[in-house]
Parts: sequence; structure tokens; C-alpha cells
Amino acid sequence: MSEVIIDVGKRHIKEVNEEIQEACKAGKKIVVANTLSRHNLGVGLPKGADISFQGSVGYYCGGLNNGATINIERNAGWGTGEAMAEGYITVDGYAGMSCGAAMLGGTIHVKGDAGPRCGVAMKGGNIVVEGKIGYQSGFMAHAGKIIALGGAGESCADALWEGEVWVAGEVDSLGVDVKVIEPTAEEVAEVDAILDPLGLVDNSRNWRKMISGQRLWYFESRDANAWLMI
Amino acid sequence: MCGIAGRILQAPGKVGRDLVELMDAQEHRGADSTGFAIYGIPIDEGYILRGMGFNKVNLDKDMAEFHAILKEHDSDFLEEPKFIQDDNAHYCTRMVIKDPKDLSRWVMDIDNISDRFEVQSCGRSLEIVKDIGSSEEVAQKHGVRDMIGTHGLGHARLATESSVLPNASHPFWARPFSDVAIVHNGQITDYYTWRDKLMRQGYRFLTYNDSELIAIWISDQMKQGLTMQQALEKSISSIDGVFTYMIAQPNGIGFAKDRFAMKPLVTIQENGELAAATEEQAVRRVISEEADVINYDGPSMMKIWGVGNKKVAA
Repeated sequence: MSEVIIDVGKRHIKEVNEEIQEACKAGKKIVVANTLSRHNLGVGLPKGADISFQGSVGYYCGGLNNGATINIERNAGWGTGEAMAEGYITVDGYAGMSCGAAMLGGTIHVKGDAGPRCGVAMKGGNIVVEGKIGYQSGFMAHAGKIIALGGAGESCADALWEGEVWVAGEVDSLGVDVKVIEPTAEEVAEVDAILDPLGLVDNSRNWRKMISGQRLWYFESRDANAWLMI
Repeated sequence: MCGIAGRILQAPGKVGRDLVELMDAQEHRGADSTGFAIYGIPIDEGYILRGMGFNKVNLDKDMAEFHAILKEHDSDFLEEPKFIQDDNAHYCTRMVIKDPKDLSRWVMDIDNISDRFEVQSCGRSLEIVKDIGSSEEVAQKHGVRDMIGTHGLGHARLATESSVLPNASHPFWARPFSDVAIVHNGQITDYYTWRDKLMRQGYRFLTYNDSELIAIWISDQMKQGLTMQQALEKSISSIDGVFTYMIAQPNGIGFAKDRFAMKPLVTIQENGELAAATEEQAVRRVISEEADVINYDGPSMMKIWGVGNKKVAA
């Protein structure tokens, strides 16, 4: 696979993204240099694309990913991989707020920490964070798994639907309507199957699996006692 | 969705130029108006004053009235007013005045002509320059790139809570405290509750901008004896809304952030210097190498950075 280097600098992002799309069509491996934390880089990339950002990126990098393999060699701003359908995104550093927001499928792997609301309203796929996930991560996650190896911030897994939040470290506080359960061996095996390709399996972990307590699912706004839960 | 920025240099330098760059990179966050609070080399005598008259037709009348009020407070011009005008109706002015006998009383009296004229900053080193238009437009009109200083704040405004008016631009001066300025990104949801309380205490609001409320709220807390750090901490639990604001004083810059962690702040701190902004790509404009950034992403966060590596008293 031949390689093409695309320079960002102060160029218009639309122009850079058009060049990236052309390189995808030509089946080239893409290296994006001089990224300068610019926003909206590599949005809507197609299946089979292989792209590496040599530096930090801004907001929405890899958003609407449709099957590409994306590597960000430093930090990523807000909304990394937002609404992605499939593919892989690896962030070598830190990912800002709302990483993987509303994603439908695929895997996001963050080697550092992830900011608040990681996986907010996600509808499928997996987010693996080697560090800590921020405030209110997993908020209203409809499906999919958020797996945090380093811990979780305040209000973790608030108002979950059918999503799951797995934390191996400390949890600062739980959100509303969360149930913490002891996972079964089969469930741990499922998580290990996600971690295995990333070389992150460790059998000594003490997992806490968070799922919905389901009280909010049938919330009756006229019930004063129910409000006290919040 | 406004954009804010802060910059601290090790020694007096082109802080105006850096703030213009920080705000130019964030112009997409709000191009209604742009403003800068720049802390220059402090003057030994008097206050540097920046003001705005709302209609240049009244310039002579405004200045005559302004001068009369100055005299009533045992003050006068140490440096004659200079005026900046363009096609817009308003005009801006810069002058140096002798210390009034009582700064707060003088400010109160000057505010009585506020339907025509507004003092926008007053300090030994602080100068607030703000106007409608983009960072580049405001910089060119007011010569911001050439302003020398140690630190400062910047703001790009997307008007959400009040009109697009030159005086509703940020930064806001924490009147009547000299040399205190704030910039804010967010919405204060209990604005009218606090405004009402503060107005009953005698504070005067010159706009309906919720950021002005933070400046006056901070003034009130400091008047009650709180330090900058204490006031920042208290604001997080007292003021309702989603916000990240930065406050500057001659000895440093601080920030506070709401309990919901909705408004970002990213910094690079290197060699006693600071570049802070709403977006990482903005701080890269002034510190372009891949230095590590610190994301202040969590809820209820606050921090103060001192100028020249000095600690600010807690």
C-alpha cells in the first residue's frame, strides 16, 4: 500500500478533507502532518481507509467514521469519533469531552484519559480507555460498552439505558439510577475479547459493571417520591 | 458559544499580539464582537481609563460633563483623551486621569452619564479594548497588536443573552475595583435573581449581559473581603448556569467553571508562561510546537496562575 503525506497547517479544512477522501479512493495509506489541533479532520472516512494523524487534533476527528482505521498520535479534542458507524480509532494521548458520543459501532481506544461524558448517548460499539473517564461518562448510553481501566469521575453512568460501563479502578461517584453488579465469568470473557486485540487483558482486575437500575425507564413525573431519587 | 483566552508572559512583551492570535483562531466561536483586557507596565501616578461614548455627535458634550465630574472629585486629565472613531456611531477614548479622591464614588457619579458614555476600564495597568467586529478588525482599529504588557484576556462574543452592542462586548471591568477584568463563556441562568439582589445593594448594571453580572458579583465578594481564590470557589456553588470565566488582576489570572463541565478550557504552561483558550487549536497559534496541553474538562474546577511565576495569595 503506497503512502501519501498530507500537510494541514493553516489550510482550509474542507480542502484537507477532500484531499484525504481522494487518497482513500486511491487506496493509499494516509499520514496527516502538522495537524495543529485543527477541528473536523478526517470526518466521514470510508471502510478500509488507513489514516494516521501525526499530532494533536481538534473537535470531531473521526466523526461519522464508516469503517476506517484512524490513529491519532497525540491528543484529541471534543467529540472524537462522534456518531461513528464502524471502524477503529486509537488516541495515543487524551481525548476531550464526549468521546464516542452517539456512536453506533466500532471501537475507540484511548490510551490516556477521556474527558467528561465519554460515550454519551452511544448506541453501540465499544470505547476502551486505559486511563480515567470523566464526569458523567456513559450518560444515557443506549447500547455498547465503555470500559475504563483507570477509574471514573463523578456521576458515572448517569441515566443509563441498555449501555454498560465497566470500570476497573476507583469510581468517584455514581450517577442517578445506576446499579453496580458483579459480572459473571462469561461477561468478563466478553470484555476480555474486546481488550485482547489491544493487548490489555489482565486477569487480576476487579471489575465493576454498571447497568441501569431501570427506575428512570418508567419515570412518572407526577410522582414526587420518584423525583427525590434525583 | 463564545471563545475566551488568557495569556501570561514571563516579562513585559507583545501580549496584545498574542491575544489577537488567540482570538483570531477562535473567531468561529463568535464574530459579533471581540475584546481584550491588557495589563501593561503599571503607571506611577493616576489611572489609565478606557471609555466609550455611544454617539460621536455628543462627544464634546460628553467630555465636558466627564471633565466636570472629574474636577468635582479632585481629579483631572494627566494625559488628554485620545479618540478612536470610524463609521459607527460610537467612539472610544483613552486617557490618564489623576486619582479621584474616592474611586467608587467617582465611578458612581460617572455612571450617571451612562446613557451616553461608559467607563470600560480603570486601572494602573489594565486597559480594556472592545468593539464590534472580528479580532483582526478590532486589533487594527485599536492598535492592539502593539500593546505591550505582562498578561491579559481575550474574548470573541456570540451574542446570546443580550444585543450586539459595542458596550455589551467582553471583557467586563469589575467596577469600581481598579485593574480587575473578566471574560466569560456560558449562560448564567439565575441572572435576574442575582441582578436584583446586587442592584438592591446599590450596584449599577450598564448592560443586560450576563457576564457583567459575574464581574459585579466578584466585585461584591471582594468588597466583603474575599480573596480572588475564595471568590472563584464561592462562585461555583453560588451562581447557577453553565460557565467558564476567567478573571485577571495585576498579579495573575484565574478561572472557575460550573458544576456541569460544559464549557472547556485548555492551557499550555511552559517556562513560567501561560496560554489558555477555549480551544486547543488556539493555544497552538502562540505555542506552536507540540507542547503538552492541560485540559480543564472536569466539573467545578478553578485555578489561579501568577504573573512572573509568583503565587497569588489564597
